[in-house]
Amino acid sequence: MSDHDHPRAIGGKPFDPLMKTLLAIFGVSAVVMVYRFFTGVGPVSNMTDGFTWGIWEPVNVVVFTGIGAGAYGVALLCYLLNKGKYHVLVRPAVLLGAICYTLGASSIVIALGRYWNSYWLAVPTMWNLSSALLEVAVCVLSYVAVLWIEVLPSVLDGAAQSKSSAWSQLGRTWGPLLAKAMPYIIALAILLPTMHQSSLGGLLLIAGPKVHPLWHTALLPTLFLISCLSMGYGAVVVLTTILNLTWKAKHDQRLFAEMSKVNAGLLLLYVVLRLGDIAIHGKLAYLGFNGYTLLFVVEIALFLVPAFMFFSPRVQQNKGRLFGAALLTVAAGASYRVDTYLSVYRPAPGWDYFPSFGEIIVTIGMAAIGMAIFIFISRMFPVVVVETRDHSHAGSGRVLTAGSR
Amino acid sequence: MSISRRSLLKGAVVAGAATALVGRAEAREEVEPRPDAVGMLYDSTRCIGCRACVTRCKEANSLPYDRTAEGIHDAPTDLNSNTKNIIKVWTAGEKSAFTKQQCMHCVDPSCVSVCMMGALHKEGEGKRDFAGEKKGTGVVLYDKGTCVGCRYCQIACAFNVPKFEWFEAFPLIVKCELCRHRGDPKKEGPLAIANPACCEACPREAVVYGKREALLAEAKRRLAEDPKRYNGLIYGEKEGGGTQVLYLAGAGVTFKQLGMPELPEESSASFSERVSHAPYLHGITPIALYGAMAFVIRRNKSKEEASEHHGEGK
Ligand code: SF4
Ligand code: SF4
Ligand code: SF4
Repeated sequence: MSDHDHPRAIGGKPFDPLMKTLLAIFGVSAVVMVYRFFTGVGPVSNMTDGFTWGIWEPVNVVVFTGIGAGAYGVALLCYLLNKGKYHVLVRPAVLLGAICYTLGASSIVIALGRYWNSYWLAVPTMWNLSSALLEVAVCVLSYVAVLWIEVLPSVLDGAAQSKSSAWSQLGRTWGPLLAKAMPYIIALAILLPTMHQSSLGGLLLIAGPKVHPLWHTALLPTLFLISCLSMGYGAVVVLTTILNLTWKAKHDQRLFAEMSKVNAGLLLLYVVLRLGDIAIHGKLAYLGFNGYTLLFVVEIALFLVPAFMFFSPRVQQNKGRLFGAALLTVAAGASYRVDTYLSVYRPAPGWDYFPSFGEIIVTIGMAAIGMAIFIFISRMFPVVVVETRDHSHAGSGRVLTAGSR
Repeated sequence: MSISRRSLLKGAVVAGAATALVGRAEAREEVEPRPDAVGMLYDSTRCIGCRACVTRCKEANSLPYDRTAEGIHDAPTDLNSNTKNIIKVWTAGEKSAFTKQQCMHCVDPSCVSVCMMGALHKEGEGKRDFAGEKKGTGVVLYDKGTCVGCRYCQIACAFNVPKFEWFEAFPLIVKCELCRHRGDPKKEGPLAIANPACCEACPREAVVYGKREALLAEAKRRLAEDPKRYNGLIYGEKEGGGTQVLYLAGAGVTFKQLGMPELPEESSASFSERVSHAPYLHGITPIALYGAMAFVIRRNKSKEEASEHHGEGK
């Protein structure tokens, strides 16, 4: 494997000011979380019997895992379609995915009223297979495990290069073994998100009487699947651009431009399905001068604008513009998801909701600890491919695919 | 590489077509009312709003009072974790009508469809074997031992019936279970199954308990006997797949005005399960997909390694 495409541990001081800030934010949210276990969910949140999921489920689970779907998207390109050039993106994307999904799963535990009963989930005879949430729970939990197994090659790589002989022995024994098993794990890493990301949309099928007709459709699973991919690809570009600015991570503009064209296709597909579905089912009448229409128009615009940007050479060749467009795709998916779960969800007349300080700080704290974990692992283990001076043939370098990481 | 992509595409097309075909064929069956189902009939035209049923419901279920500011009266304004039954009033100018809210004991309940381990379940049809539960009554019961407190039932129930104990460290879901605990096996007929305190308390028989079939017949009889008194409809006969608690409302009053949601005849549970299960083909799709993907990924890998050995780029 040529040297310049090999990921490296970033090294450096673990507790820089940024890390301290992130940990401090998480500290505040941890207080709220612990408090919740003594008092119940009510005192720390504005959740009610009407808005029973507040922002934790819509944001911490549905949006976070959408961002984490970059791992899924890159795996699709790199392994299933065998496009080896995307390999440089795999490790950062997988680490981002592992962190996002872990945070999503942890947020559920905090939100669950009777969390101690969750052990039943391990007993398949107890599963109610009609429940979309059961599928989400089982798939997400398995996928969290799969993602961390996918992170392992970085750790074993790091161990193999370590000075301590025990560690290096461990890395050199288990690394190749894991590489052999990798195809089977990667196949799971594609199957599981395909299932649970569509089920995340499927969760709201049953809430038909409560979700605004412009959003409630039999296509919810399809639209959630597409939006997780578009968010994921966007998030990978955003992440790698930031890593390039901070740690000189390899930034392959041509590769990003190409991936973004795939993304543009997804974004347009979403818009076509969404508008077509509304037109076919005669729901155009719901559009008018009202708040719902405004949300709807903003949402569609958020999908359309980056799609067209991705096709423009001026954006494809410019790091900053491509970054902006990628950020918009994340915002697009996030707004679609939050709208469906929260903004257009009306349990019955008379219910109102705005998140409490406690809810918001838990969400922010989760994001902060996620960033901290990412930075920590990238410093310690080879995750990020760092730019080297002699790198000249971006995107054409020989890189390994399928499981050989 | 081009081959793998082509075969993948082909596979996707075949899987998609099969899904579309079989998915429609295996559409989930509609759940019909169980012949022995029990329920209640509430007649808004007979209700005088005395709220005796609200008080008796609390007593029968050992629920704490929702104290008013002066601390004497029990005055809940809506169903909540202390209140499984409530009487509300609708007014418009001179006109007014009372309505009662509690669990509808749906024929095909959303809450049962979504509950991960069957904490909310139809009597005798849950995931665990409970001694004494009789299959076929259709009463929707709650098992705190398998409830994880996810609150998906609250999202799913179109009637907003399940309530959550927000201010408890070890909270429960609270909802009417048709006073099944008050049933007396020594008695005959429906009273052996359950015995709603609210029906016992009502001085005007505005709410009565019985077998759903009998109640439906009674409702029809009342409509036929005095058509001018009623709006001519029976809420719950078909709404949302049908409910075991049925409603009659006075002439000129719509059920929507009484706070009932307007629901299609297909239950939400049926719609949701139909749409989300179709692509799975009873689990065949995921397994086939997994096998196909593992195969393609492994082959891509070995090709990669082969080209590595020959020292060529790809
Ligand atoms: S009314 Fe709600 S809680 Fe009662 S059975 Fe129907 S869906 Fe379940
Ligand atoms: S809160 Fe409990 S009863 Fe309601 S759906 Fe979740 S597990 Fe079932
Ligand atoms: S059946 Fe029992 S629990 Fe249900 S509303 Fe009547 S009294 Fe209350």
